[in-house]
Amino acid sequence: MNSPTTPSRPPLRSVLLRSRKRTILGVDPQKLIKYFFGSNASVAIIVLVLIMVFLLREGIDFLPTYQRELQTYRRAGLEFCDIIDQPLQRNQALSSSLRQAVSASLETLSKTARDWRDAAFLLKRQVEDKTARPRESLTQALEKTPPAPEQIEVFRRELGEASAAAAKALDYPAVFGTAEREQLQREFAALTPEVTDLPPLLQTLAAEFSAKDREARTKFASLVQAQEEFEEATEPLQEVVDELKAKALETKEKAVEFDVLETNRLRLLEAAATETDAKEKASLTKEAAESVSEAVNLEKSIQEITGRTAELREQVEKYAVVIEKAAAVLPQDAGTGAARALVNEVREGIPAHAREMRAAAATLEGWRWDKPVSIFSVIGAFFFGTQWITNSSWQDFFGFVPLLSGSLVIAAIAILIATPVSVVAAIYTNQFASEREKEMIKPVIEFIQAIPSVVLGFIGISLVGNLIKDVSEWSWLQWVPGFPIQERLNMFNAGCLLAFMAVPTMFSLSEDALNNVPRAYIDASDALGATKLQTVFRVIVPAGISGILSAILLGLGRVVGETMVVLLVAGNRIAIPDFSAGPGVIFHPAHTLTGIIAQELGEVSRGSSHWQALFMVGIVLFAISLLVNWCARAVARRFEPHKA
Amino acid sequence: MAAETPASTAAEPLIQVEKFNYAYGDNQVLFDVDLNMSSEDVTALIGPSGCGKSTLLRSINRINDLVDSARVVSGKIKIDGIDLYAPDVDVISLRRNVGMVFQKYNPFPRSIFENAVYGLRVAGVKDRHDLEEAAERSLRSAALWDEVKDRLHEVATGLSGGQQQRLCIARAIALQPRILLMDEPCAALDPIATARIEELIHQLRGQYTFVIVTHNMEQAKRIADRTAFFYKGRLIEEDDTMNIFNHPRDPQTESYITGRLT
Repeated sequence: MNSPTTPSRPPLRSVLLRSRKRTILGVDPQKLIKYFFGSNASVAIIVLVLIMVFLLREGIDFLPTYQRELQTYRRAGLEFCDIIDQPLQRNQALSSSLRQAVSASLETLSKTARDWRDAAFLLKRQVEDKTARPRESLTQALEKTPPAPEQIEVFRRELGEASAAAAKALDYPAVFGTAEREQLQREFAALTPEVTDLPPLLQTLAAEFSAKDREARTKFASLVQAQEEFEEATEPLQEVVDELKAKALETKEKAVEFDVLETNRLRLLEAAATETDAKEKASLTKEAAESVSEAVNLEKSIQEITGRTAELREQVEKYAVVIEKAAAVLPQDAGTGAARALVNEVREGIPAHAREMRAAAATLEGWRWDKPVSIFSVIGAFFFGTQWITNSSWQDFFGFVPLLSGSLVIAAIAILIATPVSVVAAIYTNQFASEREKEMIKPVIEFIQAIPSVVLGFIGISLVGNLIKDVSEWSWLQWVPGFPIQERLNMFNAGCLLAFMAVPTMFSLSEDALNNVPRAYIDASDALGATKLQTVFRVIVPAGISGILSAILLGLGRVVGETMVVLLVAGNRIAIPDFSAGPGVIFHPAHTLTGIIAQELGEVSRGSSHWQALFMVGIVLFAISLLVNWCARAVARRFEPHKA
Repeated sequence: MAAETPASTAAEPLIQVEKFNYAYGDNQVLFDVDLNMSSEDVTALIGPSGCGKSTLLRSINRINDLVDSARVVSGKIKIDGIDLYAPDVDVISLRRNVGMVFQKYNPFPRSIFENAVYGLRVAGVKDRHDLEEAAERSLRSAALWDEVKDRLHEVATGLSGGQQQRLCIARAIALQPRILLMDEPCAALDPIATARIEELIHQLRGQYTFVIVTHNMEQAKRIADRTAFFYKGRLIEEDDTMNIFNHPRDPQTESYITGRLT
């Protein structure tokens, strides 16, 4: 239908050949744009690779470094001392249990008297605090030379009035009868700076308490004596151990110093070898020569330590005998129930402790100072080590288990709390909520993500911690294991806050998963006469389960990697949580993989073994995150029948 | 139960639609529809897209209730004389007695067996034996038993499209409903699978009251006793299928069946 006015068009073959006029630096702009976008996408991958390389480079040196340190630990004899010293620590725990038992027993008799005395002394201090100013004035006036009797009189009157008023205004506890109250009031009103003796009633109360205390001590004499004996029993043994420890430490320090100088010398010599300028070379060589220090004769000094093995064993044996005797004389009936339980615990603990000490002594003979430390035992010492001790004057240990267990327990608590909350909220929002509710719930939950974790941290410190502690003191909740709790900052607290942080991620992803369940399934279920709840639990949740599981795993990844909250709230005690306490262990403080890095990395010297150990922790953390994310993806792929 | 439906109900139609007006929000999609469907017949609803035939179908088991803005403006749908939209109607029970098969086959991503007994399970049947019996009966009725009896516990989504649709029919009839609503049941199937479904409808007619929405004129001719033509939300004409296709009374019907009205 061409009209005759159509303009003439160029011949087709001139159009078909691409014009190559428009290029930038000889490159087609289309390609340039493609490369630009491509390179931006690859930045993420490059950065990820760089992070891995960097972490590995810093961290991987840790193993040889730690190996050297453990070697020195053995050769200098520190390990030898620890064989006895470590189990000996148990003595302190047992001692403190016994001390508690003693004071609990004594209290059965003397508690009332002590409370009276303490209450009266507290009241006296309150009066003194309230009248501090006039008292000060009077004291100054008294000290003044020449004395001004009139002024003193005025101040004295003022003080008298103030004391009387203060004594009257006091809140007397109910333990004092009316007569006593009046007497106390009188005595308090008469307090002056010149009289240093206690007021008579207070003296009486103090004397009463002393009498009761003496009486109690005689009554529980055997317990008190056992406790004292037990505490003193370690002394001769500890003395020997301390002597050996001092010797070993001296050797170690010398060895370390020698190492430093030797490394320095070798480095200087190396520099000198490559230096071309003759003058520089001479000066470097000279410096190297000066850096020489005397090599430590490890063998000689270790023999000084191992030479005393027999003596040490003898002392251990003596110690074991003494504590066993103490255990035998521990009385069966020690005051209150609490005291009795403590005493029983000690009675059972002592034979085990003695056995342990004897076993330790037996291993002394087999110990060899020149046995090399294999790299596998170093790996074991890191991954299965139960102690993380740094900046120690004795020996640093980098054991991974306390941190890992803290992280895992906290993550488990967080996930156990967050999973039901977020999944149920997602089901409700997706299936039951009206449009208006949806519009309200979703942004609110997603807003949680915007709260800085440090803010959550101090909510944990100030609010959640106190809340948990108060709740744990309610009498009708005492059946809960671990209640009442000791520490406000603990794993449960951190777990709660992390759960709160994980909820938005888990909620949004679960909600998406439910949303992706095909409408057709829901129609089919409804058409077959299923109720709403049946449809939700028999069709929608099973069909969305892969998404929900993957949401949970991603939540776990977030929880394991979270730092600020655990650093602030978990209590930061570097020790393996005491799982023997049962489920109540969640109320104990702990430290975490992330927390330790954040806390210590800023303070260690670059390149030290501690620095490298922290990087190792970082590598493991990175590996855990990768694993969790990989699992999340695998799960998402695994159960997706409706996309098959 | 379906078999004992007495012939006397032929006089009293099973489904009565009376002056039915239906709307999604402010958008009315059905206007004054009057239609009777008798229990022995296969009724086909035809009409161009958006004419309201699917809405009518979905109103019969009230599955449209789940659409937020959907509402009955006025009029009634009665089954066996009971107004479905009366407040004391038990919707769950209604849906158990009015089965539905959808355009796109939609078995649950579970085993064939679990699909077949889903309706019974949600109705509270727990006895393993009863469930197995019902599964076999319904799969046989849907002419699927011989093909799947050895793999009842394999996932249903592994079946072919036609098999999946027949499984959906089996799932619906496992509850022994009176009425089966089918919303373009063959739209997603190839000609051979379509033929098997149509054959199945032929076998099952009389046991169930079929109401079928279809876009396929030939299919309506092959399977339906009565045909109703809808256009722009109104029922234009309803008659014996032969009359509709051979001697349409309304010119709009004629232009639709001859392909001039879309």
